[in-house]
Amino acid sequence: MKNKKKSFYFDDYAESELIDNNKSNIVKVSLNKVTFLSFIFFSLILIFGIKIIYLSLSSEKSFFSNNTKKEFVKKRRDIVDRNGSVISTNVILYDVGVRPKLLKEKEKKNLLIKLGLLFPELDLNKIKNKLNKGDFFSIGKRLTPKEKDQFWLMGNKAFVFDEKPSRIYPQQSLFSHILGQTDDVNKGISGVEKFFDEDLNNKERINLPLSLTLDSNLQHLIRKELINAETDFHNIGSGAILMDVENGKILSLVSLPDYDLNQRVSISDNIYINKITLGVYEFGSVYKTFTIAAGLENKVINSSTIFKNLENSLTCDKYTITEHDKLPKNLSAEQILIRSSNIGAVRVAQRVGVEKYKDFLNTLGLFDTINFDLEEIGTPLPFVWGKCKLATSSYGRGITTTPLQLARAYAILGNGGYKIKPSILETKIKPLEKKEQIISHKTSDAINLMLRKVVSLDEGTANFANIEGYDVGGKTGTSLKYNSKEKLNTFVSLFPASRPKYVLLVMLDEPKPAPNFLYEFPPSKKFPNGYKHKGEMRNTSGWNAVVVAGKIIEKIGPILAINNLEASTKF
Amino acid sequence: MINHKKWISSLPKINKEISKTINQLDHENSINSIPKKDSYNSVKKYTLLTVLFTCGLIFVSIVKNETRNLQKDINNLETSINLIKFNLDQAFLDHEIITSPENISLLAKKHLNIDLAPYKRSQIKQLNAENEKFTKINKTKKEKTMIQKFKKLYSRPKSIPNEIKTHVAKRIEQKKEEIFNIYHEPKSIITLEKAGKWTVVQLVKAFLGMPIIPGR
Repeated sequence: MKNKKKSFYFDDYAESELIDNNKSNIVKVSLNKVTFLSFIFFSLILIFGIKIIYLSLSSEKSFFSNNTKKEFVKKRRDIVDRNGSVISTNVILYDVGVRPKLLKEKEKKNLLIKLGLLFPELDLNKIKNKLNKGDFFSIGKRLTPKEKDQFWLMGNKAFVFDEKPSRIYPQQSLFSHILGQTDDVNKGISGVEKFFDEDLNNKERINLPLSLTLDSNLQHLIRKELINAETDFHNIGSGAILMDVENGKILSLVSLPDYDLNQRVSISDNIYINKITLGVYEFGSVYKTFTIAAGLENKVINSSTIFKNLENSLTCDKYTITEHDKLPKNLSAEQILIRSSNIGAVRVAQRVGVEKYKDFLNTLGLFDTINFDLEEIGTPLPFVWGKCKLATSSYGRGITTTPLQLARAYAILGNGGYKIKPSILETKIKPLEKKEQIISHKTSDAINLMLRKVVSLDEGTANFANIEGYDVGGKTGTSLKYNSKEKLNTFVSLFPASRPKYVLLVMLDEPKPAPNFLYEFPPSKKFPNGYKHKGEMRNTSGWNAVVVAGKIIEKIGPILAINNLEASTKF
Repeated sequence: MINHKKWISSLPKINKEISKTINQLDHENSINSIPKKDSYNSVKKYTLLTVLFTCGLIFVSIVKNETRNLQKDINNLETSINLIKFNLDQAFLDHEIITSPENISLLAKKHLNIDLAPYKRSQIKQLNAENEKFTKINKTKKEKTMIQKFKKLYSRPKSIPNEIKTHVAKRIEQKKEEIFNIYHEPKSIITLEKAGKWTVVQLVKAFLGMPIIPGR
C-alpha cells in the first residue's frame, strides 16, 4: 500500500511535471515566435531607421533620376579683371550627333524636312549623304543649351547629345593675347590658361575666380585707339602696355592684330604673336634715356653738362652715325635727350664706358629673359660688346629687348629706382619702400624732369602727348626694322612726370606717313590755344606713336583717376 | 575489523514519529508551488506585442512614405535651385557680354545721336568766355529793343494805352506831393532814426579816413 501510495504520489507528481513541461514547451514555442517576429520587426525598424538617417545625411541624391536635374558644376575657375568683370568662364555646350541606323527611310526624310525648317543654315545635301551612309556623324558642335533644346524637342531617337564643359570669353578678342585658350578637354594650351592651368583647375578654389590686374575698360580704350591708328597711319600691327610703376601691375596689354578667342581657330601667322611679351625689337632713341641715366648714375655728367662741338655725323668701323635733324653744335645732357641727339648720346656713352654702361642696362634687366606670368616670352638677342656696339646701343641701334622689359626699365627709372616685377596676377605686392633700390632717387628725379621737357618744350620730340593736366613725360624712338625699310615707332611715357604713377608704351609696326591726317597741336607758349595742321610726310615716332599715346592718355586719364593738375584748380 | 555496532550507535537516533510526519509531504503545498497558468497576462502580453508590432509597421510605413515625399520635395527644390543657379550664371554671362565696353561703345554709336567728346580745360574756359560774351550781347540787345519800343511808344503819345497814362499820372502826382512837403516842411524829413544812422556812417567814415563829405 505504502509502495502503491508512494507510486501514486510519484505518478501524480510525474504527471503534473509532464503537464507543466508540455505547457512550458508551448510557452517556449510561442515566445520563440514572438522573439522571431520582434527580431524581424526591430530589424525592419533598424533598416528604415538607417535609411532615414542615410537620407537625411546623404548629400548625393542618387535616389531619383538625374535627368530631372540641370546642375551646373564648374570644371575650371573663372578669370576676372581687376573690376571683377568675367573675362573667361565655363559654360556647358553640347555636341549633337546622329545615329542613322536607328532611323527608317521615312523617318530620315522627315528628319531632313524638320532640320531644313529649324536650321536653314545646315547643308541638307551633306546630311542626306551621311544619313544614307549609315555611320554615326556629328550635326552640330559647341551648341548652346537653347540650340540643343531645339534638337531635343524634335524628339528624334537618332540624336545623341554629348555635354561638354567649354571655355568662353565674353570680351571676345579684347584679351586674346593674354588669356590664351584651352583644348577640348579643358586644359590650358596658351596664355594665362596655360600658365595658371593647375591653379585654374584647383577644385578647392573652384568657386573663387582668378583675379587679374587688367582692366577691361582701359584695355578697350587703348585697343580702340590702336585700331584707329591703323586707319590713320596704315601700320600693319601695334602694341601697347600700361603698367603701374610702383608695383609692376599691368593694367592693359594690347597687341594687334588680335583674334576672337571664341572662334577657336589655329593661327600660325607670325603677325599674330604677342608683340609686347614675345616680340623682340630694336627700339631706337628710347635707349637714350638709359644712356643719360647711366651718365647721371655714374656721376660722369649732370643735366647741365655741356657737350661742345658735336659733329653732324661720325663713323665707327662700317657704321656711320648721323643726326636725324640739324641740331645745335653745343648741347647740354638734358638737351641731348630733349632733342634726341644721336651723336650727343654716343658722347655720353663714351664717357660712361662700355663696362659701366653694360652693367647699367643689365641692372635694368634689359638683356635677360623676363620672369613673367605668361609662357609667350621673348629673349633679347645676344651680341658682343665693343667700341662700336657702345656707340650704336647708346641711341638704341643694334640692341634688342621686348616692349615689356622696356616698359619695366622706364618704370624703374620713374619710380625712384626701385626694382619691380611686372605681373598680371592680382596679389599682395610689397610696398615700394620694402623693394630693392637699384638706381638712386637723384637720377630718377633728374630723368623724370628731362622726360617731361621732351613732351612740354617746343624743341622736344613728343609735343602731341602734352595732354593738359596729366603732366606727361616720355621719350620717342624710331627705328628701322632689320633688313627692311619699314619702321618701328615707339613712345614710352611716364605720367604724371612730377611723381610717375603709370608707364605707357605705344608701339606702331610699320606706320606710314599720314598726308591727310589732321594733327592737333596742344596749347603751347607760342600757340596758347593750340593749332591744327593737316598732313605730314615725316614718319617718325613724334608724328604717329606720340599722337596715339596722347589720345590714349586723354581717354584713360579720367579712369585712372590721376589727380588732374589742371582740373583740380578752380575754373 | 570495524565495529559496525559502534558505528551504528554513533548514528543519531531517529524519531520515527517525527520522521513520519516529515516524510508525509503536503502535496497541496507542492501543487501550489507549480506556476499557475495566468491566461489573462499572456493574452495581454501577446495583444500588446501585436499592437506594438502593427503600430511599428504602420509607423515605419508612414515614416518611409513621409521620407519619400520629403525626399521628393528636397529633390524638386534642389532641381529648382540648380536651375536658378544655372539661369543666374547665364544671366551673369549675358550681363558681362551686354556690359562689355565693346558692346557699350557699339550701342552708343547706334543709339546716341551726339558725339561725346572730352573737353579740355582750355576749351571749357573758352566756352565760358564765349558764353559770357553771348549773355552780354543778348542783354544789350534786349535793352536796345526795349528802348526802341519805348521810343516808338512815346513818339506817338496818342497811341499810349489809357492804363499806362493814368499810372504815370498817379506817379507824377505822388512825386509832386513829396517835393511839396519837403519844400514846406523840411524838418519833418529829418527823423531821429535817420539822424542817428547818418551820424554812425560819418563816424565810421572818419575812423576809416574816408572824406566825411563826399567829393572833397
